[in-house]
Amino acid sequence: MDAVKVPVLRGIDLLIRPGLFTVMLGPSGSGKTTLLNLIACIDQPDAGDVTVAGTQINRLTDDELADFRADNIGFVFQNFNLISVLTAYENIEYPLVLAGYAPAERQRRVTKLLAAVGLSDRANNLPGQLSGGQRQRVAIARALVRKPKLVIADEPTANLDSRTGAAILSLMRTMQSRYKISFIFSSHDRSLIQGADDLIVLRDGVVQSIQRKSTVDGDELAGAAATEPQDWR
Amino acid sequence: MKTLSLALRNLLRNRRRSLATLLALAIGAMALLLFGGYITNIRYSMQTAYVRSGGHLQIQHPDFFLYGSGNPTAYRIADYGRLLDIIAKDPVMMPMVTVATPTLQFLGIAGNYGQGVSRTVIGMGYVAADIKRMRQWNEFQIGLESPAFRLDGAAEDAAVVGTGVARVLMLCEPLGVPNCPRPVAEPKVAGAALPPDIAALAADSPQDNPAAKQSGVARLELLASNGRSSPNVAALSILAAESQGFKELDEALVILQLSQAQKLVYGRAVPSATSIMVQLAHSAQIPAATHRLKELFLKAAPSQALTVLDFESLNPFYVQSIKLFDTIFTFIFVLIAGIVLFTVSNTMNAAVVERTVEIGTLRAVGLRRAGIRRLFVTEGFLLGCVGAVCGAISALAIAAVINRLGLTWLPPGSSEPLPLILRVWGEWSMCVGTTLGLIGIAVVSAWFPAYRAAQLNIVESLRHV
Repeated sequence: MDAVKVPVLRGIDLLIRPGLFTVMLGPSGSGKTTLLNLIACIDQPDAGDVTVAGTQINRLTDDELADFRADNIGFVFQNFNLISVLTAYENIEYPLVLAGYAPAERQRRVTKLLAAVGLSDRANNLPGQLSGGQRQRVAIARALVRKPKLVIADEPTANLDSRTGAAILSLMRTMQSRYKISFIFSSHDRSLIQGADDLIVLRDGVVQSIQRKSTVDGDELAGAAATEPQDWR
Repeated sequence: MKTLSLALRNLLRNRRRSLATLLALAIGAMALLLFGGYITNIRYSMQTAYVRSGGHLQIQHPDFFLYGSGNPTAYRIADYGRLLDIIAKDPVMMPMVTVATPTLQFLGIAGNYGQGVSRTVIGMGYVAADIKRMRQWNEFQIGLESPAFRLDGAAEDAAVVGTGVARVLMLCEPLGVPNCPRPVAEPKVAGAALPPDIAALAADSPQDNPAAKQSGVARLELLASNGRSSPNVAALSILAAESQGFKELDEALVILQLSQAQKLVYGRAVPSATSIMVQLAHSAQIPAATHRLKELFLKAAPSQALTVLDFESLNPFYVQSIKLFDTIFTFIFVLIAGIVLFTVSNTMNAAVVERTVEIGTLRAVGLRRAGIRRLFVTEGFLLGCVGAVCGAISALAIAAVINRLGLTWLPPGSSEPLPLILRVWGEWSMCVGTTLGLIGIAVVSAWFPAYRAAQLNIVESLRHV
């Protein structure tokens, strides 16, 4: 029996504005993660183009994609995805090691970020010795350590209690403001969208609505699916 | 943290599995090295035995090795004294040669006619003092000294026979050969039925002479054909019987003084030799010495057909034995390599499955496929290094213990039990070769799982539960 192909995303024509805190909202199965994977350059579309930070990623080779991700994209995963044999410090340092940064620069950046996420005293702890919230803080620091243009966070609070989730969200918002990095955050929980600049609502693989904060400088919202602009806050 | 550090930590993450893999590697390396040490000792023991008895090289007529035993006159080296002199005075050969000595090999019939028994034998004429020195050669420090050469300092008619010759010719009793059974039915002496010349020999036989019996002297008569194809007889006093290892040789060998052998074979003609045995200080000098000898003889004796054969060419059994052991070693290596291959491969495959999400994460944060491959191959390399080195160290320790236990064994072709020595220490090429071989196999075993890990789809890896 032939496998039936089910398109996850259909007719997406979307522009994510740089330097903003964008939330992608939608129920499970709506295509949030697939869209994030495409933007994160870890998946390829069957048809169409994806351009990230001015680079059309469909045309990059596998190694070029890896380098592009290392240089431009930070990841925060739902399950934290820290390397279990590395300490908090080493997990944050790892992308810098991959990029060949000098030890002194690595130390400067990691120490600063550890302090920024409030984990200076847990630098030498392995992930297994940290709470869920602490692990996600480490993951955020790791995502930011190379000063990427974009941080992708796929349901980063899904495995945290509501209080910790709110704290993580607040931390990400703070980091985004401080470092002026684009954050794309996916969630199926409407209560976690406070503070977003742009809100993209997905349903059944299509963009149902794009709601944007109107005061952002250089706002260039383009997208055929951008309908029903409204004040969602 | 470099790839090496991460790989090491990953191995320590699942210590029990890593330990099991390391044990398989270490036991494999240890078994290989111990067996390798055992066959190295066999090789050295056999080589020592052959070099002590026949030297490293023999200079002969080119056809003597194949045809000469039937006609020592036709294939003789007439001016062997001059050749010995050339060897002794050559500045290149001088530091290499420990002994250069002539020998005369011939076929004959040895008889104890008083007992009515005789058999065909191989006669070997030696310069006793040279043979005594040759028997002291011990480059590989084999823990067994050769018995003293009984012909050294003995009379010209003295001889030594194989224990088999002594048994067949009923000489065990006068020679005091232990474990020498007598036949159930004593052979009858044919007496008057003997041909007149043999009957005369029997009459003269000291075994029948009450005085000789009383003195315990064993004698035999050795018949050989001389250069004019007429028979010659030598009456020999047998000093001792020495086991020759092989039954065939033991029942055929009669060793006598070279001068006596020359009289028997060449009569009043110019005394000659059939070979010049050359013993070197080190076996590694064989190619250089062979080359030099050929050069010397080409210059000094261009008219004389001569060849130089090494002990391997002269003793095919040695080569066959070494090949047999090498084949067994290769077979065991292949078996152990297979076990290592599957063990390491299994461990790495399990690691890939366990760390699928981590692989996806590493790829997502920018590690290239080659980086993933390198990581897993490094883990295989580390397993190989630690396992093989531990195995090598264990083999050295176990070999040292066994070598101190004083165990003995009887190798093929030897008449005396040898100390059981496992030569692992000092055999560095074997140790390094085996260790590197197993490390290489561990790396190859890890390569396919590493390749599979590198080919994983990032999205699917991140979804892996």
